[in-house]
Amino acid sequence: MSGTRVASIGPDWVEPMSFRPFTSESYARDDRLEAWRDVLAAVGLQPASASAFDDGHATASHRNAAGVALTRIAAGSQGIAPLPQSGEGLPIVLLPIEDGAMLRQGGSHRIVPVGHLLLLPRQGDWSLMFQRDMRAIILSVTAEARHGRLIGRPIASEARVVAPAGFADVFSRLLDATSRTLETLSDLEWAAIAQSLVDLLLTLAHQSTSPASEVAGTATQAATLHRICQTIERNLDNPELAPSRVAQAEGISERYLQKLFEGVGDNFSHYVRERRLQRAWSDLSNPAEAHRSISEIAYRYGFSDSAHFSRAFRHRFGLPPREFRQQEAERAAPSSIAAGQRGWPQEALAQLRTHQPSSVGRNIAAGTPTPAQEGKCEGRPAHHHLSVDASRVHWGYFSRTLAPQAEINSGDTITIETLTQHASDDPDRMIAGDPGAESVFGWSKQRKNVDRRGAGPMDASVFGRGAGEGFGVHICTGPIAVKDAQPGDVLEVRILDIAPRPSGNPHYEGRVFGSSVAAWWGYHYNEFLAGPKPREAVTIYEIFHDETPHARALYSYRWEPQTDPFGVVHTTYDYPGIPVAPGSVRRRHAVLDGIRIPLRPHFGVIAVAPRELDFVDSVPPSYFGGNLDNWRLGKGATVYLPVSVPGALLSVGDPHAAQGDGELSGTAIECSMTGTFQVILHKKGNLAGQPFADLSYPLIETATDWVLTGFSHPNYLAEFGAQGQSEVYATSSLDLAMKDAFRKMRRFLMNIKGLTEDEAIALMSAAVDFGVTQVVDGNWGVHAILSKRLFEDVATSP
Amino acid sequence: MRHFTLPVSPATVHWGYFSKKVAPALTLRSGDRATIETLTHHANDDYERMIAGDPGAESVFHWTREHKGVARRGSGPTEGPFIRGAGEGLGVHLLTGPVAIENAEPGDVLEVRILDIRPRPSCSACHAGRCFGSNAAANWGFHYHDLIEEPKPREVITIFELDTSGEPFAKAVYNYVWTPQTDPDGIVHATIDYPGVRVDHATIRKRENILTGVKVPARLHFGTMGLAPSEADYVSSIPPSYTGGNIDDWRIGKGARMYYPVAVPGAFFSVGDPHAAQGDSELGGTAIETSLTGDFEFILHKKNDLGGTAREGLAHPMLETDHAWSVYGFTYPNYLAELGVDAQTEIANRSSLDRAMRDAFRKLRRFLMTVHRLSEDEAISLMSVGADFGVTQVVDANWGVHGTIRKNVFRCD
Repeated sequence: MSGTRVASIGPDWVEPMSFRPFTSESYARDDRLEAWRDVLAAVGLQPASASAFDDGHATASHRNAAGVALTRIAAGSQGIAPLPQSGEGLPIVLLPIEDGAMLRQGGSHRIVPVGHLLLLPRQGDWSLMFQRDMRAIILSVTAEARHGRLIGRPIASEARVVAPAGFADVFSRLLDATSRTLETLSDLEWAAIAQSLVDLLLTLAHQSTSPASEVAGTATQAATLHRICQTIERNLDNPELAPSRVAQAEGISERYLQKLFEGVGDNFSHYVRERRLQRAWSDLSNPAEAHRSISEIAYRYGFSDSAHFSRAFRHRFGLPPREFRQQEAERAAPSSIAAGQRGWPQEALAQLRTHQPSSVGRNIAAGTPTPAQEGKCEGRPAHHHLSVDASRVHWGYFSRTLAPQAEINSGDTITIETLTQHASDDPDRMIAGDPGAESVFGWSKQRKNVDRRGAGPMDASVFGRGAGEGFGVHICTGPIAVKDAQPGDVLEVRILDIAPRPSGNPHYEGRVFGSSVAAWWGYHYNEFLAGPKPREAVTIYEIFHDETPHARALYSYRWEPQTDPFGVVHTTYDYPGIPVAPGSVRRRHAVLDGIRIPLRPHFGVIAVAPRELDFVDSVPPSYFGGNLDNWRLGKGATVYLPVSVPGALLSVGDPHAAQGDGELSGTAIECSMTGTFQVILHKKGNLAGQPFADLSYPLIETATDWVLTGFSHPNYLAEFGAQGQSEVYATSSLDLAMKDAFRKMRRFLMNIKGLTEDEAIALMSAAVDFGVTQVVDGNWGVHAILSKRLFEDVATSP
Repeated sequence: MRHFTLPVSPATVHWGYFSKKVAPALTLRSGDRATIETLTHHANDDYERMIAGDPGAESVFHWTREHKGVARRGSGPTEGPFIRGAGEGLGVHLLTGPVAIENAEPGDVLEVRILDIRPRPSCSACHAGRCFGSNAAANWGFHYHDLIEEPKPREVITIFELDTSGEPFAKAVYNYVWTPQTDPDGIVHATIDYPGVRVDHATIRKRENILTGVKVPARLHFGTMGLAPSEADYVSSIPPSYTGGNIDDWRIGKGARMYYPVAVPGAFFSVGDPHAAQGDSELGGTAIETSLTGDFEFILHKKNDLGGTAREGLAHPMLETDHAWSVYGFTYPNYLAELGVDAQTEIANRSSLDRAMRDAFRKLRRFLMTVHRLSEDEAISLMSVGADFGVTQVVDANWGVHGTIRKNVFRCD
C-alpha cells in the first residue's frame, strides 16, 4: 500500500490522550524490569526496593490526559512504593480488584481488603505488598490537572483506606468501568471522564478522615494484630480454632488478644466467622473452584456441618450457597453468547445431576501407572513406547498433579499412540476391535473407563453433562516426565514421524478413518443460511495414503440427541466420547463428491503442564502449548515449549489428518495417529544465544520457517487470574491475537536476530506472513511466519 | 487481439482516488492487452534514486511554487485553504488509468490477467539500471502506538535495492527517521500525511549497514488494482472494497487473474501501488514500494454469461492463480454503502480483523455453494479441513482477511 490515515485531519500528530497497551511479551527478559518501571512511573509509583520484579507475565492498559493517568494492571506478586520525583498532586488512588494487599506505613502493617480504595501520599515511607497476583486500578492526578483552580491542599501525609460504601463506592465503580473501556473511548469521552475523576477524587480526598478507617492503637499493637490475623488466615480450616490457642502462639494473654480486636471494633469469633464466610464466598464465585463441591469448600474453611454452613452463609449474604453459586455464574455471563457454552460456564449452572461425585481426579481404570520401558544405559538415547489405554490418558485437561506415565532422558525418542476423541462418532470404524481405543472409550451403564473428561467438577454440578463437564475435550496421552526438567528450561519436541492408526475392525482391515464435526463451538454456528438452525453435522472421512495422500468424505449425518450409557441426554455435542448409535442418525452418502482433501497430518495438542492451576481445560492454547491446532506441527517440525513445572510433563493428543488455517467449523479431520518424537531438554543456563532463548510461548520450527504463535491472551491463566478459564472464551479476538503475534515477532527479530526495532518492523512489513491459526479454541490464534531464507547469506544451491 | 501501451504522465495518472468522473486514459475492447506503467507514490523518499532522470516520474512528481504536475492528491477538497494540500491526502496511491472497457455495464464481471511484471530501473547517472524501493513504517502502521524504543512515536523510511540478477530479492540500503518536511507551497509535513512530498536529504540522518545479511525474496505485485465504485464521484484509494482497490495481497502478481464486479459503465480500471515485496499483514503500513510496469489482458464477462462459471454471483473481488482461488474479506465489504455519507473517514475508526474474518468466511461459503454446488454442511466441513484464512493487511482502514481454497481439492478421479 499505502496511505495516510484517513481520519482526524490536523497537523497535530502528537497524541497526548492515546491509549497505551503494555505487555511483558514485548520485551526481552533483561529489559522487562526497566519497561515495568515505566508503567509504574506513569502513575507515580516504583517497584518497592525489597521485592524483585517477577519475570512472569504482566499486562497493563494505560491512558492519560492532562495530568490524569489511569492504569489497569495485572501482574505477579510484588511490592510497590511511591516514586520520589513524581511531582505534586493529589494522593494516588489504588483499587485492588481481585485480592487484597498489605500496606506498610512507617513500622505498622495492615491488610487492605479487595475493593477498598487506597489513597496514597506521593511521598513518604510506605509500601504496598501484593502477596499473590497484583491486580489493581491506579489513578494518578498531578498538579497539571487542576488548571489553576483554587483548591485546598488535601492532607496526604498518611495513606488512607476507604471502605467501598456511599460516595467511595460510586468512585470505585467509575474507576472500574473506565479502566475496562480505556481503549475504546474517544478522546472527547475520555477527557470528560478524566475530568470527572479529578472532581470525584478532590471530594474524596477532602472528606474528613474517618476514625474507623485509621490504624488502631500503636504501631506495636497493630503489628501484633496483623500477625494474629495471618495466623487466623492460615488456620481457617481448623474447626477447633480458638482464641486461647492463637494467643498462646503469639505469646500473649487471651484477654489481651480480645482487647486488640475490641480496639478495631471487632471480636475474635466474629472475625474468624467473617473470614471463613468471605473465603467461602470467594471460592463459590470463582469458576476455577467449580470442580469442588459446596461441602468440600465448607470443610476447607472449618465448617464440618454443611447444613450449618448453609445457614450461616445465608444469614451473612442473604442467599444459600448453591443459589449464590448459580447467581454468580449468571452474573458473569456476557449477554452476547448465544447457543452453547464452551469451557467454564458464564451461563447458569444447570440442573444438578444426581449421580454421586467421585472427587478423585484419576481415571477409574488407572491402576498403578506403568512407566514405559526405561532407557537402560546412561548417556545413550533410549527409545520408549507409550501405547494408549485408559490408564495412560488424561481426557480434556492438563494437570501438574498427574503421575507420569513414563520418564525419559533428554535426547531419548518416544513413540506415542494417540486417539482422537471423535472416534466415537463412528465406533464401528474407529473403536471396535482396537484394544487401546476400546479401553479408553469403554463406557457401560456400570462402568466408565475414563470418568473425568474435562477440568470441570466430577459431580457435574455445573451443566450435568458428565464428570469433568467436557470443559476440555482432548484425549491426551501422557504425561511424560523429562528427567531434570525444571521451570525456566525449554523442552524441544521434534516430530520424527506420524503414522495413522488403522481400523481394528476386521471388516475394515487396514483402512483409516477420521471424523470432522461442524460443532456448536464452530465459527459458523450462529449464522446458518438454511434450516434447521442451528445444527451440528458430522462428516466421516476415509484417509488414503497413496502417492498424493488425501482424504475423501464417506458419509455425513446431523447430530441427533444421544443418550450416553449413564442416561444423560446430549442434545448437542457437549461431552466427548459419547458413542453414536448408528440407528439414531440418518447417514447421508455422496457428500463432498469428487473432492479430495490433501493431507496435513499433525498433532493439534502438544503441551507441557501449566503452573497456575491443578486442572486446566485442554481447549484454549496458551504459553504452555496445548491445543495449538497449527497444521505446520507435522512430520519434521519441532516445537519448543517453556517448562513450567518440574519434569515438564509432556502430553500429546488431538491428532489431525488435515486442517485448514482457521479450523472454521470447530474441528479438523480428527483421526487417531501414532507419533514418534525426540525430546531434548535445554537447561535454563544454556539458553543464551539459542533461537529459543527467553521463550514465553510455543515456538514452531519447520525445515523452512520459524512460526511464532500469537494468542488473544498469551497467558490467559495469569492475565485473568481466577476468572481465566471462563474469561478467555468471552473475550477472544483476532485483533488481540494479531497484536500478540506482532509483539512476539518483533521480540524474536530484535533479540534472536539482533535487529533494531526499526529494522524489525521494516522486515515484518516486507517479508513476514501473518495468518489465522484458529477461531474456535477459546483463545483465538494468529501465527507469524518468518522464512529462514531471509537469513541465508548466498542462495547458490546447485 | 490488440496491444496498447500506457506510459505514466500527468495526463494518464490520477492520484489518491478512484473515480467514475475521470476521463479514460485508454479505451479497450474485451480481449485486448496493454502494457501499463505504474509509479510508486513513495518515490520522493529518495528522489535521486527513484525519480531523477526518469521523464515519466519527473513529470508526475513535478512540484514547484509555480507548478504542481498533479495537483489533486486524494479525494478531499480541491479548494483551499488546505491543511495538507489539494485533495488533502485522503487517498495516496498514484494510479494509472482509468482504462475503460467498451460495452462494460454494471452487473458484468471484468477479468484482469497479469501476464508479466517488470521493475522500473533508475535513470539517474549514479544508479542507472538499478532498481529501488521504499518502505515506510508510518503513522498508520499497526505498530505505531506500540513502540518500545525511543523516540515514540516515530516514522522510519527504509530504502531497498531490488536485485534481479538471479532469483530476485531485495536488500536494505539505508534508513532514516522522518523529519518535518516543507513542501513547495510552504506546508510543513511533520508526519507522512500527504503523498509525493520530496524529502530533503539535508534534513535527515541516513543510517547504513542495516538489515545486513537479510535478503527479502521478491514478490512483485500491484497493491492497488480495481474499478471505479458507483457510490461516490471521488473515492479514497486507501480502503479496499467491493470493486477491489487497495487489496494489498502479494499473490496478485504475474500469472494472477483478478475478477471484479463492474459498478459503472465502462468499468474504469486503474492500477498502481506497485510493490517489490510484502508480507501478509503489511504490518508497518507499506510494502517495499517500487515502480513497476505490467502487461495485462482484459476480458469482459457479460452479466448473462456468468451462470455456471466461477464468476456466478460474484459481488466482490476474487483471485485465481494456477493453484488456488482466494476471496477477500473486509471489515466492511462495501463500506461506502454501509457507513453512509461519512464512510470515507468513518472506516478508519472501525478497523477490525474479526469482522474481516466473518466476511471472508461468508464469501468463501457462498463461492463453494454457488460455484461448486456444495450444500452448506459440505461447504463448512470443507472450509474447516481444506481452506486457509490469512491476514491480508491491517493498515488500509478497511482491514482484510483472505480465504483460500486450493484447486487440487476439486480434482476428481
